Amino acid sequence: MLAETIKHPVEHLFPYSVPPEEYSPGMVTWYNSVCGMCPAGCGISVRTREGRAKKIEGNPLHPVNQGRLCALGQAGLQSLYNPDRLTAPMQRQGERGSDEFVQTTWEEGLSAVAQRLEMADRHSDSVVLLSQGVRGHFANLLELFMRELGSSRLLHYDFAHPHSLHAANKKLFGEDQLPYYDIANSRYLLSFGADYLNNWLSPVHHSLGFGHSRQGDDSARGRFVQIEPKMSISGAAADEWIPARPGTEGILALGIANRIVEGGYTGGDAEDWSAALTAYSLTRVAEQTGVPAETIARLAEEFTHAEPGLAIGGGAAGNHTNGVDTLVAVNALNYLVGNIGKPGGVVFNPAPMSSRSAIDRPSSRHANHQAMQDLAENARQGGVMVLIVNNANPVFTLPQSTGFKEALDSIPLIVSLSSFMDETTALADVVLPSHTYLESWGDDMPQPGVGFSVGSVSQPVVSPLYNTRATGDIILGLAAKLGFREAIPWASMEDFLKDGWREIYARRSPASDDFDSFWRDVLRSGVLGENVRRESTAAVDKRVIDGIGVAEPEFSGTNDDYPFILHPYMATSMYDGRGANLPWMQELPDPMTSIVYGSWIEMNPVTATEMGVTDGDLIRVTSEQGSIEVPLVTFPAIMPDVVAMPIGQGHDDFGRYARGRGSNPIQILAPTMDPESGSLATSATRVSLVTTGKRAEPAKTGGVARQLGRNIVQFTDGSSEAAGHSTKVNGIPIVVEPA
Amino acid sequence: MARFAAGWRKYRKPGYYDEFDYAWTMSIDLDRCTGCGACVTACQAENNIPIVGEKGIRNGREMQWMRVERYWEGEYPNAKLSFIPMLCQHCDTAPCETVCPVSATYHNQDGLNVQVYNRCIGTRSCAVYCPYEVRYFNYNDHHWPKPLDQQLNPDVSVREKGVMEKCTFCVQRIRQAKDHAKDDGRRRVVDGEMQPACVQTCPAEALVFGDRNDANSKVSRSMNDPRAYHVLEELNTSPSVVYLKKVDADAG
Repeated sequence: MLAETIKHPVEHLFPYSVPPEEYSPGMVTWYNSVCGMCPAGCGISVRTREGRAKKIEGNPLHPVNQGRLCALGQAGLQSLYNPDRLTAPMQRQGERGSDEFVQTTWEEGLSAVAQRLEMADRHSDSVVLLSQGVRGHFANLLELFMRELGSSRLLHYDFAHPHSLHAANKKLFGEDQLPYYDIANSRYLLSFGADYLNNWLSPVHHSLGFGHSRQGDDSARGRFVQIEPKMSISGAAADEWIPARPGTEGILALGIANRIVEGGYTGGDAEDWSAALTAYSLTRVAEQTGVPAETIARLAEEFTHAEPGLAIGGGAAGNHTNGVDTLVAVNALNYLVGNIGKPGGVVFNPAPMSSRSAIDRPSSRHANHQAMQDLAENARQGGVMVLIVNNANPVFTLPQSTGFKEALDSIPLIVSLSSFMDETTALADVVLPSHTYLESWGDDMPQPGVGFSVGSVSQPVVSPLYNTRATGDIILGLAAKLGFREAIPWASMEDFLKDGWREIYARRSPASDDFDSFWRDVLRSGVLGENVRRESTAAVDKRVIDGIGVAEPEFSGTNDDYPFILHPYMATSMYDGRGANLPWMQELPDPMTSIVYGSWIEMNPVTATEMGVTDGDLIRVTSEQGSIEVPLVTFPAIMPDVVAMPIGQGHDDFGRYARGRGSNPIQILAPTMDPESGSLATSATRVSLVTTGKRAEPAKTGGVARQLGRNIVQFTDGSSEAAGHSTKVNGIPIVVEPA
Repeated sequence: MARFAAGWRKYRKPGYYDEFDYAWTMSIDLDRCTGCGACVTACQAENNIPIVGEKGIRNGREMQWMRVERYWEGEYPNAKLSFIPMLCQHCDTAPCETVCPVSATYHNQDGLNVQVYNRCIGTRSCAVYCPYEVRYFNYNDHHWPKPLDQQLNPDVSVREKGVMEKCTFCVQRIRQAKDHAKDDGRRRVVDGEMQPACVQTCPAEALVFGDRNDANSKVSRSMNDPRAYHVLEELNTSPSVVYLKKVDADAG
């Protein structure tokens, strides 16, 4: 049974003496909605029984994930049923940060906040709303609310927001939105640091594409090349993993570009490119990147002749001081082989479905590191009277050097809208607990899209568990208290959402059905796709070509004092730390090391032997900004002068499953930024490693990670002769003759 | 004894189960698998698999019916890593079945290796005999802090201390699909109508599930792929899980 929405909470002493319409014991009801665990915006189908959510699966109708879902998406249920959820509004009682709160009512909580908002000067921008990155009509509601408050300081903040990628696309293609990378139809993928199968942009969609490119087409098998200093799961999946010196990925891309141009690029702007790239000769690039010249030449050759080839860049490659230039260089490769707008290439996305502001400009509100630093500085100077935080956790995801936590001391009122007591919420004065995404109304226009226009609606799949409210309803409640009746007349998020979708409905040349049946259909299918595509034109301005070039990356700390480059990466299960309170995610072994429940630092085994340290030694990792202690793990696929550490653990708060586990590498990052995008250069910190003499072996599920002749994973070189037996697989001859 | 031997000979013969309606089989394409672990969590959610905690894992008490094993080859800079999802292989000639003193584990007519929790007395012999190490023993009673228990799947029993458990190929879903087919007046479940949780969620579509008695099913086609092989084929366990070799141009 596929239903369109649940009814309002049943409020009876014996709740099911008259059961709600869609409730029948033993019967399964599925609701389609949108996953809220990461910004990819996959569609989900939630299986409910007796009014409880039992299982989340991908929505087969949704073009982003096509019925599939990642581990974190599966674990969304544990965010709904988490034993450490906030259950009612609270006000701080003790000292700030003392974790002493007293329960209050919604009326009192909202009034307390509204009062302070009224007192704040309407024109001094002293009210700041810091939200996790949101899209769809909720983003629009935040815009309306802040406009009425007279404050321009609405910031979306995500640790993993690809600022550099946005800036690079803007620079080369003049595109505000991220393009669609058609991995499924590419036959040669050159990935510069983008861990596209794990957490880069839209991992489930990329995995689908990866599988299809690999084995979905009988005529050709896609080849994947990954360039990064530490093997990620995308690197493990690749046919070839190439370590290039951290931060030189862009130089490598330009070396390849130069070969392509030399090798007979025939575009009208060939001379411009040739002039811009002359400096990137094979020998120079090989020397700078540490990648052999013949490899570079071969990559260029393979990439040019692949039909078609696709280059993507992101992750660590974009998180250096030259991040934007690096990603421009990667994009230039796509341009030079002419795959813009082609299947298997880079396809520009049409404008999002709704024409409301904020939905059109998805990246313009995103706060980069510079903006967060400015916010902290302004707060210290007393420029922020009220800070409303919506589901963001900057205290955890900003380095210590930002001084964000300390800056919060100077803000008179901090309001947190969150489902959990995270590190930022712990410092709030008023906590207005929000529903999880499985209890809320909302919608989403996925970014990046899939090449055509998609909108999906998120609906409550269960009645709210606690005395919490949807974030949209909290904002509407505040608006009502402040008397914004005229501009924000809606009584609930559901009404607001329906109003927005009425516009979408009106823009479609309506068929015979009315809005209500259209709305029911959208809720049932969970997604609306429109065959709106865009021409992708690829004219690159001469000035941009002339300006192409990638500088050497800069690092914080000297080689002598800090001999290693720290490579923090987002762990599969934790994303930016938000998965740490989910027991399934704590217990999901890291695919590369099989470690659970903790942090570790990865080092090349040869380097470890030279240093005289071994697996399980507790190491003190020191940067110019501070130090953390973490156990060592030797890792076969990492450059000798690089150490890698997963992000996500090291919470001081955030519930029983997250608290006091491991350490957070973000804390010791230097405030180095990419000047062009203002984003934090997370891979640009140097560290020194000293053994503490203590042991702290991480918990692991896996045993020996070598085959030892057991031949468990078998390989073929792909040629049909070598492919071996094709007898009936289950019919192995076997003799069972009892004596 | 002679009768026992005759019966034994009969249904320990490979292909015996192919005579029945269904012979459920899974194929796993190692060239598609990315090791992401979505299958692991999907399985935990579907099958009420307990959280054992850090201490539990340190004591080797993990319970994941589906796990992703990793194997390194070579050294830096030529190190390569391969993943292989490992689960109960539902062997037609399963070593675990013959050693159970109380027949708590047996083969059903669909070719599934099933575990009867009520019969299990916890000798753990089956786990010792399983060459794939995919049987998990409940050394403790497990608890779900409220309200995490509200997520538990009512179609799957929660196991208690002293009981062996393992992958069932989501037998509860198979039963539902069969019931559906019956209600619809069909004799057979249609290919793709039913998928275990791990297959359903796999983002790279590496996992395929179906009936190998149906020559046109997707899984039958992948069994005929020249890349198909069984893990530990030499043990003659005749598994119902088929792996497709990873393609590596340097192999051979």
